Formats: sequence, C-alpha cells, structure tokens
Amino acid sequence: MSRKPYLIAGLSLTAMVVGAVSVNAQLVANKDLSLPMAMTIAQTAIATCKSQGYSVSAHVLGRNGEILVSMRGDETAPHTMENSFKKAWTSRAQRIPSGKFAENVKGNPNAGALHLSNMVPAQGALPIMIGEETIGAIGVSGAPGGDKDEACAKTGIDKVAADLK
Amino acid sequence: MSPTVHRIAGLSLATALACGLAATAGAQLLTHKDLSLATATAIAQGAIDACKAQGYNVSAHVVGREGQVIVALRNEKAGLATYENSMKKAYTARTLRMSSGKFAENVKGNTTAGQLYLTNITPAQGALPIMVGNDTVGAIGISGAPGGDKDEACAKVGIDKVAAQLK
Repeated sequence: MSRKPYLIAGLSLTAMVVGAVSVNAQLVANKDLSLPMAMTIAQTAIATCKSQGYSVSAHVLGRNGEILVSMRGDETAPHTMENSFKKAWTSRAQRIPSGKFAENVKGNPNAGALHLSNMVPAQGALPIMIGEETIGAIGVSGAPGGDKDEACAKTGIDKVAADLK
Repeated sequence: MSPTVHRIAGLSLATALACGLAATAGAQLLTHKDLSLATATAIAQGAIDACKAQGYNVSAHVVGREGQVIVALRNEKAGLATYENSMKKAYTARTLRMSSGKFAENVKGNTTAGQLYLTNITPAQGALPIMVGNDTVGAIGISGAPGGDKDEACAKVGIDKVAAQLK
C-alpha cells in the first residue's frame, strides 16, 4: 500500500467519527415560553374577550403540550376549561390553528388524528411560534363562536410578539 | 274544649308554621361569594412572587369552592411534580377546610386514615384555605420551595395580598 491510501483512509475515518458523533452528540438548544410570558398571553386573551362581553377560559401549553397556565374565566360554563385545553393541545400537536385542523378533517371522520387523546376539531386555538418552530399554543373557549375565541387568542400572542424570537 | 287542648292545638299550629317557615327557608336559593379569576390570579401571582423573592421557584394552584381549578401556573424552573403537588395540596386544604400542613399533622402516625385514600388528598404542607369569614371559598396550594413551611408562607402572602377583597 502506498502512503496515499492510508492517508485517505485515515482522513475518511476521522471525518466519519468526528462528524457523525459530534453532530449527534450535541445537545438540542430550544427556546421555551417562560411562565410570565405564558401568563401575559393567557391574561391578554381573556381580557380581550371580556372587553367584547365574552367570558372565556384559557390554556397556554408549552413545547411538549404541558400546561403552563390554566385559567377559568368568571361565569364560564364548566366545559370551557377542558375545551380550551384540548383546542390548545390540538394546535400544539398539529402546529396549526385548531380551526384549520377542523377544516382539514371536515368530511373525514376517520382521520387518524381525531382518534388521538385530546384532539378536538374546534376553532379557538393558535400555535405559538418562533419563526417556523412551534413552542406552544394558546386555546380559548367560551365566546359564542370559535372565530371569536381565536381572535382573542391572537391578541394574546400579538402582545408578546416582540419577545417571540 | 279545655284550655289545655287549645294550648296544644296552638303549639301544633306554631310548630306547623315553624315547619312552614323551615320549608320556605329550605326552598330558597343559596347565596354565597366566590373567587373571581382576577382575585385568584392575584393570590397565585402574589405567592409565586413571594417565593421567587426568596430564591424559590414554585408552581401554584388556586381552586374554588367546588375544588375546581381557577388558576394553575407551572413554573418552568420548578420540579415536574410541583404542578400536580400544588393542585393536590390546594384540593386538600379546600375540602378539609384547614391547611394541608395541619391535615398532615393530624394523620401523622395514622397511615390508615380514611381521607388518605381519597383522590387528590395529600398530607403535605404548603396549602391554605381561602376564607370569607368562616366560609371556605377555595384554597391555594404551593409546591417547589425546600420545605412545606416555606411553600405555606408564600401561600399566605398571596392570600394576605387580597385580604381586603375577602369579605
């Protein structure tokens, strides 16, 4: 064997080992919602709906669907807590507004996603994004119409838009 | 009819009237005061801030009259169990109408106390009932500080903050 193949083989091996291992071994760097930010989102959404005369409950979930903030609005119906959670869960999991999900599965009751826990085809939740990345979601329930729930949710996210980067 | 009989009849009538009044009283709707979301949020936030000022990251739950969750706040810097634990402590304080620490004391050495077998009851300090006079309208539970006594102290700050509203 000449010197060259050795060198090439050595280089290749080094490249493989160093390249593969170091890339896979790196920790994942994630940005996540803080509690104060999540509270601002939820409180703003509830306040917006209240100013329009709607009592709503709200949930803000984090990256893994964990509940960061859960708020039961005054004079809301009991199901609004569950519903705002499920909408938020749906939005986080699907990475789209829960209303968009509802549209997507309309006319397809066998859609697999509908058979997962906590998925609900109901408008009123939006994913919380940093660029293209979904780091959580807010779900609102209690207004007379999912479009109104969603509009309130949006004001919550808009309030902290400058910090979502 | 003798006077005695009259008197007995009169007493019966009075009793009947009393019963009638009682029935009326029983038919009335109940009136009570409940925590608003704003008050509940102020309590939870006050408690979390108090703990944070001491260097403790805690999660908090405020539950209402029926033990329903009004506000739940997960502190991203607190342990995973703190979310569940703060809810259970709050539920315990609400339903037993005493601090969860007092309950813990009460069942110390009595591991077969019936209440310990109920869902969401926990013998752990860190929650206080929220009172309006003698009426328990809810509770706040805190978890995450190094010691239930510290959790409870923060919970108290939260309630004290809205004391003027609790009447």
